[in-house]
This record gives sequence, C-alpha cells and structure tokens, in this order.
Amino acid sequence: MNTLAAGMVDKGVILQGQGAEKARVLKNVRALALAQARFRALWVLVGFAMLLLLALLRIAHLGLSDPGRPGGEGMAGLPDRGDILDRNGVPLARAFPAYALWFNPRAMGEGSPLVRSPADLAAALVKIFPDEDVEELTRRLASGKAGYLRRRILPEDANRIHALGEPALEFPREAERYYPQGTMAAHILGYVDSKGMGQVGMEAVFQKQLTDPATRGAPAVLSIDARVQGALEDELMWGMTRAQAKGAAGIVMDVDTGEVMALASLPSFNPNALRPQDISDSDPSKQANIFNRATNQTYELGSVMKPITVASAIDAGIITNLARRYPSDHPLEIAGITVHDHENYGASLNIIEALIHSSNIVLAQVGDQLGAQKMQTTLKALGFNERPYIELPARGRPIWPRGDKNGVWSRVTTVTASYGHGFSITPLHLASAYSAMVNGGIWRPATLQKIAPGQAPAGRRVWQASTSARMRQLLRSIVDVGTGRSANAVGYRVGGKTGTAEVADAQGYHHDRVVATFASAFPMDRPRYVVIATLDQPKANAATSFQRTAAWNAAPIVGRVIPRIGPLLGVMPDATRDIDISDIAPLIANGDGE
Amino acid sequence: MNLTRDRMHTIGWGMSLVICLALTLALTFRVNAVKSQVRLAERQIAQLKQEKLFLETEFETRASQQQLKAFNDVDFGYSAPTVGQYLESERQLAALGKPRSPDAPDPIRVASADAVNASVRTMMAVEAKPSSPFAVLGMGAKPEPAAKKAKKSEDISEHLARFSGRTGQNTGHRE
Repeated sequence: MNTLAAGMVDKGVILQGQGAEKARVLKNVRALALAQARFRALWVLVGFAMLLLLALLRIAHLGLSDPGRPGGEGMAGLPDRGDILDRNGVPLARAFPAYALWFNPRAMGEGSPLVRSPADLAAALVKIFPDEDVEELTRRLASGKAGYLRRRILPEDANRIHALGEPALEFPREAERYYPQGTMAAHILGYVDSKGMGQVGMEAVFQKQLTDPATRGAPAVLSIDARVQGALEDELMWGMTRAQAKGAAGIVMDVDTGEVMALASLPSFNPNALRPQDISDSDPSKQANIFNRATNQTYELGSVMKPITVASAIDAGIITNLARRYPSDHPLEIAGITVHDHENYGASLNIIEALIHSSNIVLAQVGDQLGAQKMQTTLKALGFNERPYIELPARGRPIWPRGDKNGVWSRVTTVTASYGHGFSITPLHLASAYSAMVNGGIWRPATLQKIAPGQAPAGRRVWQASTSARMRQLLRSIVDVGTGRSANAVGYRVGGKTGTAEVADAQGYHHDRVVATFASAFPMDRPRYVVIATLDQPKANAATSFQRTAAWNAAPIVGRVIPRIGPLLGVMPDATRDIDISDIAPLIANGDGE
Repeated sequence: MNLTRDRMHTIGWGMSLVICLALTLALTFRVNAVKSQVRLAERQIAQLKQEKLFLETEFETRASQQQLKAFNDVDFGYSAPTVGQYLESERQLAALGKPRSPDAPDPIRVASADAVNASVRTMMAVEAKPSSPFAVLGMGAKPEPAAKKAKKSEDISEHLARFSGRTGQNTGHRE
C-alpha cells in the first residue's frame, strides 16, 4: 500500500514536473504573442500618428499658405489697351474682349475636319452672317488651312454657330479695339493695326501710354466733346452732300485754351472695320478716306485771310481811320498784276465795307501799305510758315513763298497774300489764327488733350487787345449784314468771314474748282469758340441756288452747327444781347460780295 | 501620483501654451478662410466688371451719335431749340407766373407764338389757375366740357413736365 502510495507519489511528482515545464512554455508563448501584438499595435499607432501629423501639417499648410497670386485680380481688371475718353468721360475707344470665329482643321484629328460638306457649312454660316460670301467661305473651309473666318462676332452669333455642331469652328476670345461711336472722330482716334500698334490718330500718339501696364489703367482723356463732334460731323455731311463737294473739314476750337472741341474730315472711315480703300484709294487723283483734310490738307483759303490783314494793319498803325475810303471801282494794277473784285461795289469803300463785300481791290491796297515785313511777321507769329501745332501725326506743311535771299516777300506776293492767295495753310492754322484774333490777340497752340481750368499755355501775343476788340466788331458786322448772313444763328452773336478760292496746284489755278471756307467765332461779345467749315470743290446746284461761294454752302453749315453746339458748350442764345457796334454802325452800308 | 507644486506649474504653462497655439492656429485658419472669400468676391467683381463692360459697350453702340441721328431723322425730327425757347434767368422764369393786372392788354405771347406752341398754350390757358405760373396765359379763355378738359389736362401736365425740365436745364448753365 505504502509502496503503491510511494509509487503514485513519484508518478505524481513526475507528472507535476511535466506540467510545470508545459506551463512555462505556454507562458513564454503568451508573452511572445503579447509582445508581438504590442509591437504591431505600436506600429499601427505610429502609422496613425504619422497620418495625423501629416493631416495636421496639411491643414496648417492650407491655413497658412496664400493660395492666390499677389495682384492677380488687379491685373485681371487691367485692360489690354487703355481706353480713350472724350472730355466728359464718354468712351471713344476701348479694349473689348470679343469672340472671333476661328477654323481649326485639326480639331477632329485625322480625316475630314468637318462633319458636313464645306458648301453646306458655308451656306449655314451665311444665314448667320448675310454679308459673307458663300463661295469665298466654301473655298476657305475646303482649303483645310487654319485661319479666321470672321472676327468680332456677337455672343448670340457664337451660340448659333455652336449649335451647328462643328468642332472645327472655334470661338477664341480676343482683346479687340472697339470704337462704340463708329466713324465718329475717326481721324482723331485713328485705329489699331493687327500688331497692336496705333496708327494715324491719337492711338498712335498715345501708343506707349495706352500699352504700358503702369499707365494703361487710367484712360487717356481728349479735349473732344463727343456731342459737339457728332453735331459738327452731321452738319458737315449735310453741307457736303448738299453742295456735292468732294470733301469737307470742320473744326470747333476753344479760343482761350486752344483745345480742339471737335475736328472732322469727310469722307471718313470706320476704324472698327477698316477697308483697304480707306487707307489708299485706287484712284491716285483721289485722297483716301484716312486723309485728314482739317490738319493735313493745305488750301489757299482766300478771303478768310482778309480779317487777318486788316487786324495786322490796325495793329501796325496803317489803318487809323475806319472811315477812310479806298478806291474800288476799277481793277487795281499793282506790281504788274491786276486785282479784280467779284463785282463793282462803287467808287470807294471803307475798311468795314471792304470786309463786308470782301473787296480784293481794297485789301490789296491795305496789304501794299502794310508791306512784306509786317505781313510776314504776323503770319509767322500765327505759325503759317510751319506745320500746325497739334498732337496728330498728320500735319500738313504749309506752302510758304520763299521770297528773296533774306526770305522777304516781293510786293506781288505781299499783295496777293493780303487777300489770301499765294500761300496755303490747313484749316487748323486758320482756326488757331481766328482764335488769336478774337481772344484778345494771344495765339496758343491747338491741342487734343484736355486742359485743366487755369492750365492753358501762355501763348504768344500777335495783336493788341484793342485790335482784337475791333476785329470782333468787324467780324460781327460781316455776319450781320455781309456775306456771312446765312451763318447768323439768332441769339448766338456769330461773327466770321467767308472765303472762296480757286484750287491751286502745280498746273496753276483751276477756275472750275474752288475751296469754300467759313471761319467764325461766337458769341462775339465774349468769344468762346471758333468754328471753321471748309468744303473742297463744292458744285453750283439747285440746293445752293447755283452758287458755289462760301456764303451759299459753307456759311449755312456754321449757321446750323452753332445752335446745336452752343448750349452744349454753355453758350445760351440771347436775342437781347450783342456786341456793341454803335461806333462803327454809321460806316456800314448793306451789300453782298464774296 | 504625486503632483508637486512645480509639476503643477509646468503642466499649467504647457496647457496655456497649447491653448494659445490652438487659438493662433484657429485664428490663422479663419483669416485665410476670409481671404479666400475676398478672393472669390474679387473674381466675381472682375467677372461682373466684364459683364458691365459688355453691356456698356452694347449700349454705347446702340446709342451712338449716328444711331441717334438716324432715329431722329426717321422717327422724331427734333431740331435744335431756337432762341425763343430759352430763358435767360430765374427772373424770366418767375415772370411767367406774374398775375395779370386788371387793365393789362391780352397776352401777346400766344398771338406771336408759332402754330404748335400756340395750340399748346391755348390748352394750357384753359387749365391754368390764377396761382399757376401760366395763369397769365389763361385770361379770357372759355370753359370747356369736362371730358375734353380731362384729356387736355394730361397733355398739359406732360408739356409742363417737359417745359420745367427744359427751363431747369437751361437756367442751370450760364455763359
């Protein structure tokens, strides 16, 4: 029993020893598994921590970084080319992002670029743009060459083309130069060519300012008043059509500052859709529409020069007595030439009557007494021997007689110049000269840039203020009772002078062609604006009572322009007010002339 | 775990630092969120400006000088006002409303005016009351039937509106 018991105990010990070993092994396995699990958990934790860190870093980066480009929005607001405004802020030229119609034959990859046939597509496009030519479009679509089919198309037209479902027709958006007023002020503005360079007008003058990013944000402001410009162009067109003239030019200028309020040359062109014939006419005898008759064409302007001669003579003390009478009933033989009048105005005329009748004979005598030296000094002071002062590149060089070796004119030249022949100037020269004649005697250069109040250039004195005051009376008399009556807009106290001169060129004078000009200022009791209207080769027809002189064709234009522009420019009509001409009234007799 | 006084201070400072950092971060995020909104608004402004440019340009093209002239030539036929249509001063404007003295002659303004103005002024005369600025024109007019009167009243008020607008403009500018 004891042995059994002892044996059982031994067996039990052995068993116990085996269990302990097993338990120890198990314990090691568990610890290993736990360690592995902890290790893995740690990795996962580290992974999550890394992810969290990354997320936090990303959030911090997003929060701290500045996603926008500095100044990006500012540049987006900047036009590609600066605007040009009139003096009241009306846009005359602006950068305009317009759609173009571009043919891209590679849009469909290989094979035919078009879904339908070129002819069908051309026909569909012509339905949208009726002015396009079907055959021309078909040819361009069939050629397979990339290119513009049309530029500056309307958004609704772009939508209609899109609806045609042709992937090869694309609508790139391009910065275009747009002139909302069309042909208005075209000669002042000029145009922008396909390379983005301004041509002809202020587009060329302001090229740098309008394209420099530092300055193009601010628009360029002109002295032009769009309303006045429109009225001048309207009435010039009316006058030109009425007299069947070849061309016309007109200027409205502020007499105190030299600012050009309006400047027109007809026929004009549309800078939005320039045609080749606008730039160079196929007929070499014709001027292209782009040619500026107001600043580039020189004319012998004829009788409009007579007030300048009289002003010079009064200023120089040659005319001291307006009542003095000059013989006028016979053609005047002077320095080998014969000076005629339009008709016989009687045995003698005083200076006022000579201007009212526009007598060449009397003015020739005045010019002869004035002499070449004084005449030339005045005309040079008015800038008649140099190109006109204005920003435009198109400025005509006057034809100025050479004179002797010292440049002094002969007697014949002086006499003919006294009534406006023998030398040529542009209408702009004339506008500046008339401004000086009525503003107190100060000549100032013409400008197309707006001048701030009180910033007008000092200019140079050409005549005394007293001479200017006298000339205002004389000019008013010419319109009141003389050749300028058809310009007498009631209440606006207009003063001015007509001038009709035969066209002169290398072949001499052409009796069948004339240039008719009316140079005026208003209101004469306190002159504010000069208005010039010139018609190039007007015809005598029923509308002009079969006359071709300025009294019948150019003066009526001014008579229609002034009532339209006067109130816009702050000059109110007043029939109860006028310049005082009571001291010269007894010397005036009514009559006609040219 | 023993929290000594120093340990408490350290934890406190640490917490403060963490809170400050968190607040700074939150503020920075907020600032940038607002910046983004501003940028979005700027983009919208630029887009709207572009739209405005389109519309302005279209309006200017449709209302260009040549278009207006064409409208006027075909539809309206307006011409520049003549000297008689301007008043020099407020005094002249006021004079239109001066009551007529008992022995004054018939107003010659109506008699001398052109046909259109005369007819309008006759209409005005019918409606004008003694206190109206146009009372001077109304003297001697006979009463008219009420229906006719009502129609003319509309015409007159239109004319008066036009007239007052014009005179207001004219007297606003001086030479």
